[in-house]
Amino acid sequence: MGLDELLALLKTDTAIEIIAAVIKILVVLVVCLQVPPVMVWVERRAPAMMQRRKGPNRVGIFQWRLYGLIQSLADTVKLVFKQEVVPRGANKVAYHMAPIFGVFTALLIACAIPFGNDLMIFGQKIGLSVVRLDVGFLFILAISSLAVYTVTLAGWSSNSKYALLGSLRASAQMISYEIPLGMSLVPIVVIFGTLDLNQIVVSQGAFPWAWGVVRAPVSFLLFLICMFAETNRAPFDLAEGESELVAGFHTEYNSAKFAAFFLGEYVSMFVLSCLASTIFFGGWQAPFIPYETIVKLVGGYAWIAALIGFTVLILKASFFMWVYVWVRWTLPRFRYDQLMGLGWKFMLPVGLVNLLVTALVMAALEFH
Amino acid sequence: MSQELMFYATAFLITVCSVMVVTNRNPVVSAIYLVGDLFLLAAVFASLDAHFVAAIQVLVYAGAIVVLFMFVIMLLNLGPEGKAHLRIPAPELAVLVLTIIGFTTIGTLLLTGQAPGVGGEWSPEAIQANGGNTFTIAMVLFTKFTWPFEISSILILLAVIAAIVIAKKDKKQVVHD
Repeated sequence: MGLDELLALLKTDTAIEIIAAVIKILVVLVVCLQVPPVMVWVERRAPAMMQRRKGPNRVGIFQWRLYGLIQSLADTVKLVFKQEVVPRGANKVAYHMAPIFGVFTALLIACAIPFGNDLMIFGQKIGLSVVRLDVGFLFILAISSLAVYTVTLAGWSSNSKYALLGSLRASAQMISYEIPLGMSLVPIVVIFGTLDLNQIVVSQGAFPWAWGVVRAPVSFLLFLICMFAETNRAPFDLAEGESELVAGFHTEYNSAKFAAFFLGEYVSMFVLSCLASTIFFGGWQAPFIPYETIVKLVGGYAWIAALIGFTVLILKASFFMWVYVWVRWTLPRFRYDQLMGLGWKFMLPVGLVNLLVTALVMAALEFH
Repeated sequence: MSQELMFYATAFLITVCSVMVVTNRNPVVSAIYLVGDLFLLAAVFASLDAHFVAAIQVLVYAGAIVVLFMFVIMLLNLGPEGKAHLRIPAPELAVLVLTIIGFTTIGTLLLTGQAPGVGGEWSPEAIQANGGNTFTIAMVLFTKFTWPFEISSILILLAVIAAIVIAKKDKKQVVHD
């Protein structure tokens, strides 16, 4: 087969579709797997900065210290090569499956996030998210509701009372906060009239006063609180209250599986940050510069514009990742009854009223 | 062709999972297989272009209901069942045989084309023309089926209130303690 024939074969629609899908999967996978090491570093250096101490700054390559950035790499190597201890009486299948399931659900949600506008490649429209779903919104809610199993299975299969108590706490919390999370997102669907995430980004436009955060500020606040609760992060990290539960549901885990829990946690934090930027902060839209203008500025090359959009989305998500760390080192942990009270007695009613008001305003605007 | 292959693969996995739900000795493992079952069922819905139903299937059944099952199993602390001789009593055996005969009959009728399925009002094309899955379901639900929808939501509300009333502690007793 000659080179020309091969090129012709590569230009068929199916081939382009398959190649594009593989590239998209690789991009999302690589970005998501890069998040945890960097976040582990941030999570050590940021509190050091806040508490006026140095933090881990020694590990580097030869004489270059790189602000201790290689520390995460060293930690990962240590965790992977550590001896694996499975507790006696553990349910083997569930014990090994739980951390994998955590990573799986987090990566699956990342598939639905649009990281750029539709591209035209060799006359074929390629949507820049791993899967382009017309119910992307519901897909994300559905998959994130599966994340409970990671915690439940890990806690139950370890055959340890601390793990079980931690997992019961965490799963009750996750189920409770799923409801205000859904309630905070329904007004967005009412406002934009679609469940397609890319469509939501497109209709927000480039100007911040048309973004979701301005149109639905209450929704944004509820979503922000639920983000912390869904990922079991401080101030809602009761599941791993060290003083009473050792480490919660992953007490009995060590070596690579412990690392997998961390991976899953940071990836789901990153995915929720991306989601917050997508829904409330215009996603891949650069502020004040409409997409068409960017395409014109870079000389009509849509792929450069897509790359810029991708960078913008990552930057926006990074901000929320910073908020996660910021809040963790600012607020103390909640008490369990306060947590449940906040979820059921405050956030759910506020979410319902917010939905009602949004619906009334939208109906009034329509009849106007 | 590939769609048919997908369907048969999913159907096979659903059958395997369902059998595992019933035959596994450990209730928690049974519940895990049930999750797999419901997830694969959502895949079947998705392959039929019913994306909305697929998402709701995962959200409600796999994400909420089986979690509650699992909670109950864990709180009751049910261990794995001991081994027992497989002994099927006569009535159950009759039911099993009749079920197999029934499904074989339905299968042969469908495969030989003697019982063609009758298409309803909403074919995939009609749904696409009407503005997609979610829109169509919402429209039908809130126009044609408004009353059944509202009445069933009141029914669920009543059930919730009843559950709270039953579960509520007697206040006087608490004071005396």
